[in-house]
Amino acid sequence: MSETTLLLHTRAAGREILLRVADLREVVAFTPVTPLPSGPPGIQGVVLHEGEFLPVLDWTAIEGGPTRQGPPMAMAVLRPRLGLPLDGLTGTLESPEEDLLDPAEGDPWAPILAGLCRVGGQDLALLDPDRLLALLHRLRKAP
Amino acid sequence: MDPSFDDVWAECEDLFVQARQRLTTLKSPQPAHVVQASVNALFRATHTLKGMAGMLGFPRFSQAAHRMEDIFDLMRQGRLRSTDSLIETLESGIQALESGLDDLRRGRPEPDDYLQALRRQLGELEALARPPDGAVLDLTSLLDLPPDALKALSDYERTRVTAVLLAGIPIHGVSIRLDLATFDERLRSISEAAGVQGELISTLPLEMHDDRDGLFFLLLVAAPALDLPRLGVLPGEDLEVMELADPARVPAGLKADPGTPAMPAQPDATGAPTSPGGVPLDVEVLRLPAQRVEALEARLMAVAQVRDSASLVLRQLQAPDVERPMAMMGEIEAGLLEVQKSLLQMRMVKVESLFQRIQPMVKALSRDMGKPVRLSFQGGNLELERSLLGRLAEPFLHLVRNALDHGLEGPSERVAMGKTEAGSLKISASQRGRNIRFDIRDDGRGFDLARIEARGISMGLLREGQLHSSDDLHRLTLEPGFSTQERASQISGRGVGMDVVRAEVEGLGGEIHISSEPRRGSLVRLSLPLSRAVVGCLKVRCGQQAFGIPLSHVLRVQASPFALLGGSRVEVLGENLPMESLQACLGLSEPVGGQRLLVVLRQQGATADTGLEIALGVDEVLGRSELLLRSLPELAQAPGIMGGSLQEEGILWVLDPEALMGLAMESLMRRVAGV
Repeated sequence: MSETTLLLHTRAAGREILLRVADLREVVAFTPVTPLPSGPPGIQGVVLHEGEFLPVLDWTAIEGGPTRQGPPMAMAVLRPRLGLPLDGLTGTLESPEEDLLDPAEGDPWAPILAGLCRVGGQDLALLDPDRLLALLHRLRKAP
Repeated sequence: MDPSFDDVWAECEDLFVQARQRLTTLKSPQPAHVVQASVNALFRATHTLKGMAGMLGFPRFSQAAHRMEDIFDLMRQGRLRSTDSLIETLESGIQALESGLDDLRRGRPEPDDYLQALRRQLGELEALARPPDGAVLDLTSLLDLPPDALKALSDYERTRVTAVLLAGIPIHGVSIRLDLATFDERLRSISEAAGVQGELISTLPLEMHDDRDGLFFLLLVAAPALDLPRLGVLPGEDLEVMELADPARVPAGLKADPGTPAMPAQPDATGAPTSPGGVPLDVEVLRLPAQRVEALEARLMAVAQVRDSASLVLRQLQAPDVERPMAMMGEIEAGLLEVQKSLLQMRMVKVESLFQRIQPMVKALSRDMGKPVRLSFQGGNLELERSLLGRLAEPFLHLVRNALDHGLEGPSERVAMGKTEAGSLKISASQRGRNIRFDIRDDGRGFDLARIEARGISMGLLREGQLHSSDDLHRLTLEPGFSTQERASQISGRGVGMDVVRAEVEGLGGEIHISSEPRRGSLVRLSLPLSRAVVGCLKVRCGQQAFGIPLSHVLRVQASPFALLGGSRVEVLGENLPMESLQACLGLSEPVGGQRLLVVLRQQGATADTGLEIALGVDEVLGRSELLLRSLPELAQAPGIMGGSLQEEGILWVLDPEALMGLAMESLMRRVAGV
């Protein structure tokens, strides 16, 4: 019998995406972000979460992301302490790990995806937090 | 390691902290009862450590703790007198156990004997305390008490009676009658009050053959004199005081040396004896899991957020009588900050406690290596998080060992070089922006860079024929397995240590930097980020945003008679200084009309002649305030920002003045270059 993973089906940056529930600390209501003067690329600012500053991702800095972002309704707090603004929540689902497909060729989000997951005839992008963090570090180091 | 034992490890660490404090207390002259209380505490600490080690499955550690416990037992019985050399041996013993525990925690195997280096000294102490031909000196017969009462004294109490009389301290009998309903509470209260004035040796129940009701007790108190009102005995409690034993009656041949300390108690304002650090010795200490404090902090932050929302709603109401509730909100704000600061304080510990661990080790190493050392500390009053300090102990021990073993020369070599016979080792702590900086500086031979280079080439870490900077070569010593020592010495040079130091410091998000000059000495600098601190700041506004500038760097606030743009020059206290707009430093848009208010910054520790001074233009000066600073996570770190503080109006960014001066200079240079 194959291992299944519990996934959160969400909408973010104009796309349907999946997040592994195991990668999440929690999902909270979105609160206004305090911008950081000269803040690092890819981070729009911070919010206060459990008494600590939580960096919040700026989807517009991700290649293939929206040029402008509307007001998000929720925020997924990743285990490596990064907030992802979410436009909406669809629900949770279980998926076999080994059924992941490679991202479509030319998908600008490929560097931050673990793969694609077929859900109800649709291929949904499964986000990989480690790859996302690596991308943010690369953005910071870029001249 | 089994996580279920985490609490046991943590308690062991606490016991070592207490043991070090008690040993520090014993180093300076103290009243006899303070000495006794400290020795008793040390006895209990080693006894508990023995039990815990047994529980964790470390029989040799348990044996070693048992041996130390025996020595403290001999001391508390008065069979060993507290002398400098005894305390030094005990410090080395405790240090050996503590290092041993660290090793065990890291999964290293148990050594045969943790106290091997001290075998000779401990043997001598045990021999010294052994009574000749099995005879034990007992002076309880000098007590003016009926035989039944004398028989009731335990062995320990007998040894204490003997010890205090030998030390020349009289023993008083305090007789009281207590009400049956409240006697336990009253007895505890009077016993504590007696203990403050001297050593409470025993509390004996007395049988009284008269028709008075109640329970009768006799307290045996050793003290030069008793202040009766301070005992707190109530009018109906029939207080009687008698002198039970006069040390003058001790046979002259048995009396202790005149040097024995028997000073009157020096209580603090509350009447409680204190340790040299000013901490009452007998206060109740609570141990709490750090998570509980963190949860409380988080809850407090949530309350602060509700307070902010309430404030906002109040302002939006625009009601005529809103002033009073707004003032109350201000009071809540001040109260919350106080609680937050207190919580922060609970997690903080003075750097001094780290220094206390280093001092005995330097002393012991200096003696063993025959290298006299002048050791000095600076910045012991700075505070940092307890968890951080715990992880710093091991790296510091490595660094100090290295400085003594490799850095400082022997006395004859030093004298031949025109240096003082004793080497200098200076350890200082200072706060620099969002970091705490530790400098470990010696005046020894410095690093042998040629040898390091040759070793680096032979190990394949460097390429022959390439130019290697002094920085590169110093950094090489931090590589795993790197050592220029052909053979490991007893002290260091095993090729492990510096890489462990680097790993630990980097694991804490810090940096290590080494520099040295041949024959002049070496400097190892550790910079570690502070996650929380209370910082005195000048609050300023630029555009719609408020910022805090740490007062440590603010030289002056000055108003200009006319608006200035970034890149101007201004006269400040007779000096012509460059001026830059704070907005320009932080990448924000500079006000077109210029700025009239200037905050003049100076590098910390610099004088007018040596340091960089710069005037920053701001839109408004809001005043000064103590801010609870939270550091930014690595992902959010931004140039010039030290951290943030939650305020009523949102997050206020606290600026890093040193970085800010750098940003200002860069901005000015860009102006000159026209880019």
